[in-house]
Amino acid sequence: MLNRLLRASPYIVVQLAAMVLYQLAGRIEYAAAPGRIGPDFWPKSILVLLGLVCVYEIIKNLLVGETFTAAGLLEKLMKDSGATEGEEKLRSYPLLLVGGIVLTIIYVTTIDKLGFFLATIAYLALFMVIGRYRRWGVIAVSSVLGSLGLIFIFMKVVYVSLPLGTEPFSAVSLLLLRVMGVH
Amino acid sequence: MDALIHLGNGFLQVLQPANLLVLFIGLVLGMLVAVLPGLTLVMGVVLALPFTYTMELLPAIILLTAMYVSGTYGGAFTAILFRIPGEPIDVPLLWDGYTMARKGQPAKALGWTLFAALGGGLITTMVMVLLSAPVAQFALTFSSPEYFAIIIFGLSSVVSLGGGSITNAAISLMLGLLIATVGVDSIYGAERFAFGVPFLQDGVEYLLVMVGAYGLGEVFTRLEKGFAGDGTTADTDRSISTEFPTLAEMLRLKMTFLRSSLVGIIVGIIPGAGATVASFVAYGAEGQYGKRGKELGSGIAEGIVAPQTAATSSVGGAMIPLLTMGIPGSGATAIILGAFLLHGMQPGPQVFVTSGPFVYAVFASIFLGVIGMCILGYFAIKPLVKVLELPEAVVSAFVVMFCFIGAFAARNNLSDLYVITAFGILGYLFEKFKFPIAPMVLGAILGPLAESSFMTMMVSHSNDWTVLMGRPISATVMVMAVIALVYPIQRQLRERTRRNGTTQ
Repeated sequence: MLNRLLRASPYIVVQLAAMVLYQLAGRIEYAAAPGRIGPDFWPKSILVLLGLVCVYEIIKNLLVGETFTAAGLLEKLMKDSGATEGEEKLRSYPLLLVGGIVLTIIYVTTIDKLGFFLATIAYLALFMVIGRYRRWGVIAVSSVLGSLGLIFIFMKVVYVSLPLGTEPFSAVSLLLLRVMGVH
Repeated sequence: MDALIHLGNGFLQVLQPANLLVLFIGLVLGMLVAVLPGLTLVMGVVLALPFTYTMELLPAIILLTAMYVSGTYGGAFTAILFRIPGEPIDVPLLWDGYTMARKGQPAKALGWTLFAALGGGLITTMVMVLLSAPVAQFALTFSSPEYFAIIIFGLSSVVSLGGGSITNAAISLMLGLLIATVGVDSIYGAERFAFGVPFLQDGVEYLLVMVGAYGLGEVFTRLEKGFAGDGTTADTDRSISTEFPTLAEMLRLKMTFLRSSLVGIIVGIIPGAGATVASFVAYGAEGQYGKRGKELGSGIAEGIVAPQTAATSSVGGAMIPLLTMGIPGSGATAIILGAFLLHGMQPGPQVFVTSGPFVYAVFASIFLGVIGMCILGYFAIKPLVKVLELPEAVVSAFVVMFCFIGAFAARNNLSDLYVITAFGILGYLFEKFKFPIAPMVLGAILGPLAESSFMTMMVSHSNDWTVLMGRPISATVMVMAVIALVYPIQRQLRERTRRNGTTQ
């Protein structure tokens, strides 16, 4: 039963979300024109279809316990050819994944304060470490040069205005831009 | 005749030094992306997108299409030489290409790949030039019901032809369509699913969906599998050369070549299929209809020519619906469509009327791209395969950076970084639970077009949706859409019943 519940769980989550969104779609405010469908019709139609597909999968996985799934053509071709064999047997490192995601969220929340240069050096170096790379020299050089290179390409060549950060970190960014001749 | 003159002018435009340089860079990047196992072709094209923001439209499209073309070829080197398929496209090349190399003929195997990529590429480009204008002319007669039906066909074929199960692909597609509804609706000005959050009121850019789900999501997925430490252990220092097949050998394989080109072009035209499906289908067709079909897998040339020709041929096929109807035929063309839209141009039936010279310049760039890709492939294999030595953790860290800069640069909005992180996690969850990403991305891109053509149809026909079945073209296309969805399910149910019958 637990297996069945696990198989059905993604569909249950999507189904619940679809139900909530359907309720919200019913509250969309607009000036109705007589004889015309409103802006809620399209999302509601999609949500109904989404709900139907999820209900089918929930019944199939949870109640009937059926595992048959009609695969898309590419999936079938890959499976028939044996190209996907062994994929399931690959080792899994959930802690690395959690570390990578947490690091990414920290980067996104701090880039505004630290500025692109400092935040990126830290992110590149730590991501490589989390990714089980241990050549410290390469990590140091590639994260510093990589960060400089990205600033040069995007601010000097492609004209993208990357975040400079707030005081005192912005001083580092501004000094760097002056050295690179970016105005 | 007009087409030839326009094509000639197109060549002149592409041959300008700046455009040629962009073409060259695109070809090299496409090959590098195809060689590196951690990067997929679609991901590579996504990562190149931010570089095109400040470019003119033509060089931007030249860069992305060059990557697309050469990405269907670059992975062949590592598949044949080291049994490392850079892309799923290259998996069929393992069976005969790698086997031929192991039999002591790696140069010959690479030569056959080069012949197939060059021939397939040139044929598909010619077909693209010949078919695009008439298709666009025909599409000019379409009204909103036809347009809506074609979009529905495109979306249903994405569901039935792609990876993952059909129901998971359908869920992915509908989530993409829902994402496209976030923000202020263009007809009524009503706010939908924005929850009062300012950046959601502007809508979710499809670019963020693409970059997050394809780029970050793939990196997270590979991180969980614990990146390959110091790059490949393959011997990339060995001597590598290419031996082109003789004319007599090429003529012997003319039917394989023609059959696979046709498969590639047709599969490319069908939305949602793309180079990987083309490569597998062509290999299967060779096994069924080829003279030496039963010998496939033993290292014969047919097993190399069929998938490679079809993969490269699919490029031109996929560009036809993109340019003439604004409907992408593959993941990579979905991103190229994104580039068009970012530069304020909507491809579609009017494209030859409003931007004829531009379209022919794109055709010319693909012609030159195919030739350039083969020249590069001939002379630069050795440095290209060297990138296999790059550690995956280092490459992935930079991939994340390109994703972030790409997302940020589109609107100079730091909030978009949160959005792509969220889509990155969603992309990872999709991979984990075997939901394909492509339908969600295509849903997010085509959602606004689908909704606007649906609303126009309903307004023009007094809310009578049955008009779809009352017009010959839309009715035919809707029937095709239903077949596209129902046929694979019915076929697999039949197979299962037969298998159960055999085991009992």
